Amino acid sequence: MGISYLLMAPAVVLVVGVLAYPVAWEVWISFTSLSARAEGRGFVGLANYRRMVGEPFFWRALATTAVYFSVTTLAKLALGLAMALLLARPSRARWLVFLAVFLPWAYPGGVTVVAWYWMLNPPLITSYSLAAGHLKQAVDGAFGSGAWAFGSVALFNVWRGGSFTAVFLLAGLNAIPRELFEYAALETRSALQRLRHVTLPLLRPYLALAVFLSFASAFADLANVWMLTGGRIVFPVVGTYAYWLGIHDGELAQAAAWSLSLVPLLLLALVVLFRWFDPPREQPA
Amino acid sequence: MSHGGRWRHRLLLALVALYSVFPIYFITVQSLKTPAEDVFGSPLWVTDPSFENYAELFEGAEAPVRGFVVRPRVPYERWLLNSAAVLAGSVVLTLTCALAAAYALGRLQPPGWRWWRRALFASYVIPHTVLFIPLYQLLVALGLDDSRSALTIVYSTMALPFCVWLLSAYYQHLPREIEESAFVEGASRTAAFARILLPMSRNVLVAAGLFTVGTVGQDFMLASVFLLDPAKQTVAAGLGVMDVSLEELVAVAGVNVAAVPVMLLCAGLARGYVRGLTAAMVEGS
Repeated sequence: MGISYLLMAPAVVLVVGVLAYPVAWEVWISFTSLSARAEGRGFVGLANYRRMVGEPFFWRALATTAVYFSVTTLAKLALGLAMALLLARPSRARWLVFLAVFLPWAYPGGVTVVAWYWMLNPPLITSYSLAAGHLKQAVDGAFGSGAWAFGSVALFNVWRGGSFTAVFLLAGLNAIPRELFEYAALETRSALQRLRHVTLPLLRPYLALAVFLSFASAFADLANVWMLTGGRIVFPVVGTYAYWLGIHDGELAQAAAWSLSLVPLLLLALVVLFRWFDPPREQPA
Repeated sequence: MSHGGRWRHRLLLALVALYSVFPIYFITVQSLKTPAEDVFGSPLWVTDPSFENYAELFEGAEAPVRGFVVRPRVPYERWLLNSAAVLAGSVVLTLTCALAAAYALGRLQPPGWRWWRRALFASYVIPHTVLFIPLYQLLVALGLDDSRSALTIVYSTMALPFCVWLLSAYYQHLPREIEESAFVEGASRTAAFARILLPMSRNVLVAAGLFTVGTVGQDFMLASVFLLDPAKQTVAAGLGVMDVSLEELVAVAGVNVAAVPVMLLCAGLARGYVRGLTAAMVEGS
């Protein structure tokens, strides 16, 4: 048995070193008064958290974050499922369309976000700047300043993540024995019924996995655009505001509390998702 | 399927393909424009394609500055090489660690392996982008600041949880008899792994490898925070510091130069990717 722990060691060391240690550091810091502006630090207990929840801005940021995550996740799931179901049906052009669906995810997001941002927020000199400008003003006017830029991030994430989800769910559909679908076709009356009572329950573990995997990319895309524009997207979101507090204001302890405020939500999501794709029943090994 | 149904299916497939490819097409069209067309042409097509934006990336453009003509340029070749090195390093590191851990978890199954796997996988939801203050301190303490290997290590940790899950699910579901016949013939565990399991998991490895490529490709924030020296930057980090607002077409061309090879690589391996995902998802195969 010793050998199996040895084999796991590199992965565990990486995850502990690059993830667990920083998280632990943030937890510890969030209970202190560490700041780049003041000398020394002392233990202040929950003061940082108390200050955070006392700010109305925090609740707005938390709500925006939650809305961003749920809207993009649902859109990615719906789009991904629709595309996967379309691609699962045999047809001659299937292979070509599959490649097309695969491309948004393969087109590396970290660099294309640069292009995407300039496409949606063109500088003053391009042929469609005027039209884009009007659109931006209309959206910002309706939802508050920064809404267009924020929406463009969400759109980018849905485009990229929907592609990943589609391919992932297509693989899931392939993993389900064909006979089950043939049997279901005999037993159910409409395609919608089949989707609700057969396909969705069978796909449930893969749907949960897809949601799980899409969280990280939703956050990465948000942070990318925010960083790219030097924080010009002023829409209040928990993660980016934490960065602002930490890097620009030097309020490291406050920033840590802000970053960690997402943890309860993530844990809740984790528990639900794990129940779906890795149920706690012990299988005979 | 009815005649009408088939046409509807085809139409939907065409729409999906169009939706997926359009942004990439749009970006490519803009990158091929001359400044004149950028201002007066149509945003949707290019009548007089030119590669001057691409050439400018590598050679720089002449610009008059206070009576002198200068050629400001960015070390784009270096950025490409750095990106390739970080990408290749991350894939190798991730796959090595993931294979070892997955073999232990899926095949040797030490006590509590399910919990080990869950814990490793759960670490995927922690957004790295909120951890970089402590991460940065850790890297400085290790003497790894402003280094490409630091980025490689962080990227590997980001992709590792899913890769471990994928490979271990595959190994867990493979029947024991596959190796046992080799043991009977006197092969060691290592030999059985290298000669039987490893070739069998080719597609799953492709899936894990491409997932790593996608994870590395989606980051912009960490690259631009960790790499400050232009000679060490990756394309993503470099494009971020370029004065994009003035030369947005050159930046867009820079995006394509880096993105297209990655996209082609992924497209070439797309079939293996789906097969690998499916293989890991099929229970008891």
